[in-house]
Amino acid sequence: MARVALNALRKSFGAVEVIKGVDLDVEDGEFCVFVGPSGCGKSTLLRMISGLEEVTSGTIEIGGADVTRAEPSKRGIAMVFQSYALYPHLTVRENMGFGLSLARMPKDQIAAEVDKVAAILQLEPLLDRKPKALSGGQRQRVAIGRAIVRDPGVFLFDEPLSNLDAALRSQMRLELTDLHARLGATMIYVTHDQVEAMTMADKIVVLNAGRIEQVGTPMDLYERPATPFVAGFIGSPKMNLFEGEVARRMGASVYGIRPEHLKVSDDDGTWQGTVRHVERLGADTILHVEVPDLGPVLARIEGHRTYAHGARVYLTPDPEREFRYQDGAAAS
Amino acid sequence: MTRRQLLTGLASLAVATVVFILPFLFVLINAAKTPAEASQPSFAWPSEWHLWSNLVEVVQVRDYALLLAYFNSIVITVGAMTLLVIFAAMVGYVLQRRPTRFSKFVEFTALAGLMIPPAVVPTIWVLQQVNLFKTIHGMILIQVAYGLSFCILLFRAFISSIPRDLDEAAIVDGATPLQVFFRVILPLLKPVTLTVIVVQSITIFNDFTHPLYYLPGAENITVQLTLYNFQSQFTSQLNLLFMNILLITIPPLLVFVFFNRQIVAGMTSGAVKG
Repeated sequence: MARVALNALRKSFGAVEVIKGVDLDVEDGEFCVFVGPSGCGKSTLLRMISGLEEVTSGTIEIGGADVTRAEPSKRGIAMVFQSYALYPHLTVRENMGFGLSLARMPKDQIAAEVDKVAAILQLEPLLDRKPKALSGGQRQRVAIGRAIVRDPGVFLFDEPLSNLDAALRSQMRLELTDLHARLGATMIYVTHDQVEAMTMADKIVVLNAGRIEQVGTPMDLYERPATPFVAGFIGSPKMNLFEGEVARRMGASVYGIRPEHLKVSDDDGTWQGTVRHVERLGADTILHVEVPDLGPVLARIEGHRTYAHGARVYLTPDPEREFRYQDGAAAS
Repeated sequence: MTRRQLLTGLASLAVATVVFILPFLFVLINAAKTPAEASQPSFAWPSEWHLWSNLVEVVQVRDYALLLAYFNSIVITVGAMTLLVIFAAMVGYVLQRRPTRFSKFVEFTALAGLMIPPAVVPTIWVLQQVNLFKTIHGMILIQVAYGLSFCILLFRAFISSIPRDLDEAAIVDGATPLQVFFRVILPLLKPVTLTVIVVQSITIFNDFTHPLYYLPGAENITVQLTLYNFQSQFTSQLNLLFMNILLITIPPLLVFVFFNRQIVAGMTSGAVKG
């Protein structure tokens, strides 16, 4: 169990600065998700916490101790890699016990630890197999098991679900959430998928271009995005964001409204447009509407409705749910 | 199979027979002849088969020099291979994983080892200075030096196909750099190690010129040098010479027969990502 604190953390590769001063506290037992577009530095940040990447300046504290220059194995962390990184020449049992055998723990004790964790993850029937004889989901589970066996204070996950198919991914999301509740350990999880972030996190950290854009609970970020970037990144489908003349008319430099907060009507509304495309998902329908002056606008309606291509519709934004930004920050 | 494929197949088999099988048969036939018959080597069938008696004579000549030569050659080959595999794998690993200015220099040195021809006389002088001239371990080091460049390149290419995540997982698990190498990387190098062992051990075992320069002395004889036992300025016993060739060809041949699949696998691995 450990609290993680990052203070003014910076990282440069040569002349390129990829992490531009990050301050962050992850509380003990918290499930914290780093989310952002690719290249925003989220994986680099995770690797700095793990000790695989050197810190250019700033400090990292784990469990109250300064570990900025400590070896990865001395930080009380365990990491699950995107590629799982299972040792191909070792069986599942040896993979899970590798860290303990390096620490020169007696063999029977290692076996007991591995068995205990295998029981949690239902890996017992697979213990004597090699990684190549496992499916993607099973490999994932072994990689998580290898992390649990080391009994770390902090778990680090580097996009662990991105190699799985959609069905397995949503199942593993639930399993990871259960596991977090069961172990009560601090977990830091990197993903570019905002759905994973929204469904699993206690705290989401949105990163953009090496800086933290906003930190908060999933609903915080959804209800009160601090910047246009967060507004556009969190929520699916994406929020409609308008700049320029349109936004100025609304009294801001950027104006945003979520697709689900637009009322769609056939005969009356604020904006009139024509339907360009209809996505019917069953539970809801997403309309791509071309509005003169505004450009393309997304609107979401519950249930399924049929609109002809080119049909005329009216859109009305919910005045309670509009977002206005001035100079990159929320305007009051 | 189309007619064209059949014809080209047969043609290449015929060429292979002429190039590879005929010389071997020539050696075998002449190794079974009497000295008189073999003095004019030909494909003519021997009038009497003397395979066994020739074999015994070849082994016994010069106080069982051939057996001593086998022993020396095996010691040199095994010793050099052990050092080669460990050193080349380590250097290849560091070169692949840590691209620094120094590793670029090391890489250049390795390439230079392939391109610049070795100089015999200075090497002998160096060996004499460090008291390794005319010694088996001196010869082992020479063979390691000659083979290292090629092996480093093979290992480096193979290691680039091993994901770096594995190293990092081991580091997070608490492995020291040596443990990462010996417990994670080295076991994964098995295919390319087999290739290196087969290719290099045959080269070293069959080496004629280097033992000739660097390892003079009757007690230091290696298998290829036993050929001199039967051919000199004044006498030649061609039947025994052919028998000797036959005997020293067999070990490398066996290695090839058993490992040829692994050689190809190791040579091409790392060429295509997969």
